[in-house]
Amino acid sequence: MAEARKSMIKFKPKKYKVGDTIKVDFIVIHPMDTGIKKDKKTGKIKPAHYIDNITFSLDGKPFTTMKVWETVSTNPYFSVNLKVAGKGKITVDYTDNMGEKNSKSKKLKPKG
Amino acid sequence: MKRRNFLKTICAASAVAAVTTPSMVLAKEAKPKGANALSYDAAVKAITGGKAVTKSDKVSLTVPEIAENGAVVPVKVNVESPMTETDYVKAIHILTTKNGNARSADVMLTPMNGKGYFATRIKLGGTQDIVALVEMSDGSFLKASKSVKVTIGGCG
Repeated sequence: MAEARKSMIKFKPKKYKVGDTIKVDFIVIHPMDTGIKKDKKTGKIKPAHYIDNITFSLDGKPFTTMKVWETVSTNPYFSVNLKVAGKGKITVDYTDNMGEKNSKSKKLKPKG
Repeated sequence: MKRRNFLKTICAASAVAAVTTPSMVLAKEAKPKGANALSYDAAVKAITGGKAVTKSDKVSLTVPEIAENGAVVPVKVNVESPMTETDYVKAIHILTTKNGNARSADVMLTPMNGKGYFATRIKLGGTQDIVALVEMSDGSFLKASKSVKVTIGGCG
């Protein structure tokens, strides 16, 4: 599929200062097929299709890398912490087992 | 006589159909296995390399006691750690004991995270334990596990 998947990065709490530890939530719309479930329309078994690698980076420097499997729920949600050291850009790159590559980024703007 | 024969054959045919079809369907459904099927013990061995794993209070695992829907089970892991350059949480592995593929997520953390925290949502095929296996920067392994009751499985 060529079209970009819907994804979202959220910072919690919304207002944060330099030195705070915030949550970085990443949500993506993805089927996460296990490869053992049948398609209700065709009756055939759907091939496994899941996200396998995720990288969270700040200004190009990765701070969390993940390897995940099909046992993660449909439309997965991942949450990690980050200590805010200043302004920057959070980028989340993810690939799936069918070779799809995507990325999403959001600017980090601490106040005060 | 003709009518009797006709009815007989019909009855026989339907009986055969009734007996064979469900078993054939079952045989077909039992066949597929996940591409990454790996048992819990094998997964732990692959991660730790045979090293000892100790149960620790430092690792707190937050999961629901009863999951109504096995397809979406929230999992939250908090690890007590100063997260400095010399002492930090290196990795958090989320494992399950009875899923076809025991592994769910391997999360590699760095001191930049500030806290040893990870949360996600996973699928459970049935009632089983969720295990958080944590690797610290000094090479030791800690673990915490909790049992989750599942009323509707979420893997098939």
